[in-house]
Parts: sequence; C-alpha cells; structure tokens
Amino acid sequence: MRAAIQLHQLEKRFGPNRGVLGIDLCVEPGQVFGFLGPNGAGKSTTIRCLLGLYRPDGGRAEVLGQDPAGRDPAFLTRVGYLPGELHLPEALTGADVLARYGRLRGLADLSYRNQLIERFGVELDRPVKALSKGNKQKLGLVLAFAHRPELLVLDEPTSGLDPLLQEEFARLLRETEADGRTVLLSSHDLAEVQRVVRRVAIIKAGRIVIDDTVEALRDRAPRTIELTFDHDVDPARLQALPQVSLRSASPRAITLTHTGSAAPVLAALAPLAPDTITAQPADLEELFLQLYEEDRDAG
Amino acid sequence: MPVELVRLELRLRRRMLLGTGFGAMAYLLLIVLMYPSFRGDTSLNSMLSSNPGAAAAFGITGSITSPAGWLNGNMYANFGPLLALLLSIGYGAAAIAGQAADGTLGLVATLPLGRTRIAAAKLLALVLVAAVVPIASYLPCLLGPHFQLYPNWSALAWTSVALGLLAFDLGALALWLGAVTGSRGLALGVSAAAAAAAYLLSSLAPLVHALRGPRRLSPFYWAVGNDQLARGVPPAALVALAGLGMVLAGAAVPAFRRLDLQ
Repeated sequence: MRAAIQLHQLEKRFGPNRGVLGIDLCVEPGQVFGFLGPNGAGKSTTIRCLLGLYRPDGGRAEVLGQDPAGRDPAFLTRVGYLPGELHLPEALTGADVLARYGRLRGLADLSYRNQLIERFGVELDRPVKALSKGNKQKLGLVLAFAHRPELLVLDEPTSGLDPLLQEEFARLLRETEADGRTVLLSSHDLAEVQRVVRRVAIIKAGRIVIDDTVEALRDRAPRTIELTFDHDVDPARLQALPQVSLRSASPRAITLTHTGSAAPVLAALAPLAPDTITAQPADLEELFLQLYEEDRDAG
Repeated sequence: MPVELVRLELRLRRRMLLGTGFGAMAYLLLIVLMYPSFRGDTSLNSMLSSNPGAAAAFGITGSITSPAGWLNGNMYANFGPLLALLLSIGYGAAAIAGQAADGTLGLVATLPLGRTRIAAAKLLALVLVAAVVPIASYLPCLLGPHFQLYPNWSALAWTSVALGLLAFDLGALALWLGAVTGSRGLALGVSAAAAAAAYLLSSLAPLVHALRGPRRLSPFYWAVGNDQLARGVPPAALVALAGLGMVLAGAAVPAFRRLDLQ
C-alpha cells in the first residue's frame, strides 16, 4: 500500500544550519503519526513543505502519491490542515469563516461539519477578532476535519483547548484512525502525543533523530527511580554507573534515571541500604527531556 | 476562477471600498453643484495662467472653468488618481504580501484551488477595486447638465476607463512586488514612490522642457495627464495602459507560485 506521506532527503534551509536538513520519513496510511520536536526543530517547516506552502531546496516529498510542490492542487481536496499559528480573517464571524472556506473547498455535505460544531461548541456568532485562542482553535479544527479528509496534518492542534476539549479531540483522533484515515500530529507536547499515536518521529535541529513505535520507544525510554535513606550516602558511586544519570541528589534523597536492565543499578544500590525505593514506569517524557537537554547544552 | 475568493477579498475591504467610493461620490457631487458659481469666473483662469507652477502641481492644463477643465482640475488630474491609487496600491500590497505576513494566505493556499487560480482571483479583485473611484466619480457627473456642466460624455467615459487602468497598473505593480519579495512594506513603498514619480513626470512636463519626451513613460500621462477629458483618450493610450497591466499581472502569477507562505 502506498504511504500517505513519503519524504526522501527533504531539505529546506534558512541559512547553513537552520531549517530541515535532509530528512526521510514514511507515514503509513491509516495511522496517527506523532511528529515531535522542540520549538524551532523543523516541524512546521516540514509540514509547510508537505502542503506545498514551501518549495523544498532539495530531496522529494510525496503526499497521497503527489508532489506537493507541483502545480496540481488536487491532492489538497484529500488533505485537512490545521496550522500551528492559526490566522483567520478577523472581521468575519465564526459562521462566516466556516461558510466561506467551506465554499472555497467545495464542501457540499455539511452534516459532519455541523456535528463537529456541536461537539466542540464552536462560537459562530462572534467575529474572529473577539474570540479567545481556544475558540479560534475550535474553528480551525472544524475547518480541518469538516470534509473528512484522507490525511490530516495538525500542527499543535490542542493549543489553547481546555482539558475536556483535549479529551474530545483525542476521541476524534481515535475515530479518524478507526475510519482508516491518516493523521500527522505535530507537537512539542509529548503527553498529548503519547496518548493518541502509535508511531512517532522526533526531529531535532532539522534532522530526524528517532523514528519508531511508541511501544519500542517506551522500552528504550529512561526509567526513574526515587530513593530515600535514613543515613547520609555518597551518590558518586551511582553516577559512575553506565546508563545512569542523576536527576537530583542530596545526602538522604536521590532521584536517578536509567536505561536498559535494572540489575546493575539494583546491585549498586544494595550496599547503600536505601530506606525506600519508588520506581516509575518508563515514560517517553524522560527520553524527550534528554533530547531537549542535549539541544540546550549544544546551544 | 474561484468567485468565492473574489467575494472574500472584497468583503474584507468592504468598509474601505464603500467609504472611499461614497467619499469620492460626495466630493464630486459638490464639485458639480459648485460649477454654476465658477463657470463664468475668468479670474480663476487668470490666476492659474499667472501661476503655472501651482497649476502644474495639480495637473491642471488649459481653462479650469470649461466643463472638462473643471472636472479635470478638481478631480481627474489629481484627487481622482490619488484616491484610486490609494485603494489599488493598498490592496495590491495587501493581497499577497500583506496576507502572507499576517498568516491568512497560508490557510487559503492549502485549499484545493492552486496558486494560479488564487492569483487570478486576486487580480480580478484588483480590477474591481481599481474601478471603484472611476465609477464613483462618473456617476455624479451624470447630474452635470442640471448644473450647466456639459462634459464630453465619450471622453469622460474613456477617461474613467483610463483612470481605472492606471489604478490597476500601479496596484498590479504592488501585487507583483509583494509576490516577489513577500514584503508588504516594500511593495507599498516602491509602488507609491513609482506613482509619485510618474505623477510628477506627467504634471511637470508642461513646465520643464526636458521632461516633455520622458513624460511618455508615465502612465499618468496616458491616463489623465494630457487633457483627456477634452481631447478624449487615444486608443493607443488605452492599449498601453492595458498592456502594462497585463505584463505586471502576468509576472505576478509565477512569482506567487514561487513564494514561500507561512
């Protein structure tokens, strides 16, 4: 089956080391694919190349079997897009925005759109300029989903939404996936992504550094262990262990993360006679934080 | 042609277009109503002939108390183009570069329209924007005969067309510059400067001998700078104005196709 999105050494540069620096990516149809990365890593640039907003400097992109930089906009009938920074004409009301963009798209059947309006409680009567960020975002979600596209490209979709609406959005994504449609979900918020995606790619400084299933990443993700002691200990012994890093250390409390097997860590801990041990389940958050920190250190 | 996009473009500028259109109409109505009081005033003509610099600055040539001179000196040679260009250059700079900068164009470009059709819709909207002031100016003139103002109707109609083409040309210049650079400020600034230079070239040519030849390079000269309300507009002038607009519009489309949008 043909991939929904296929990138081959895609490149879009803004200066020597900024932008997207030759990435490969394959998003299979029918999956919710997480596209993660710190701010400025190249997520939005990649997305703009996918939608034909940017012309790549090198490499190739295929979206639903078509080159988005080509002159045929037909593939866009099958794509829904929510930009990271949603800008709508300020003078129009929500109803006017939905009606006009719907007509521009050639949307004839409004039943699903009306369901979404109801479901997200979209403000229709007030002008866009009077709407809060969350209310604008709801309009953006309806615009992206209303025509039941085969592929949804969503850049920071829950930005500004309250927790109830974030949950409603997660349900909508699950329904979309169950329909066999594809979603590329870009975010810098890992909690949002790991709830709903099966596979994830992480982009950092314009390059894909991780592309794997959430399950496999969880296996590789650092696990956190919190220790307390009823006597003073020297954490230096733990720091020397391979695949262990200390998150915080005081003479009577240590928090560390480790990857790989727990056996060497437990063996090193035993002589320290900890009073309590609390082990957290593997969390992608730690993996992601490590990438962020490396990025900050490099900067 | 996405007519809906043309409607959206005009809807977003509704107040500006209506305000300028009604303002131009009201101003010209006043000019028409005042004509009987000035048509026999020879001192006005004497004053202007003794002060050719001031007359040239306002684009006035010949008698100002004749019907053509009155309309020309009070509207078609100066305020008319100013208002028309205010709208068309403003729209031209905003249509691509302005909307690209404020982020609204990116979402439109991801609709299944295609850049060429989006550009075509914006150029059609520019045609309509450029027509606002010429039409708003022409309508009050129809009341002229009730106030002893009998313009040459054919010349007035073709001058209105030429004024619309002039506005379209400079609006298309702004639109093209916006599509090439993505900078609204640059599009606005360069187009406004080009309009000012073209106006001065045309209006000062009667005073400065060295400008008489070069004034043919000015679209103002072809549209309103050669006493068109009295003499009519030569077909060659209309062709030149339309041709310039087509070249600029034609250049804007591929430039827009290449423009990166947010």
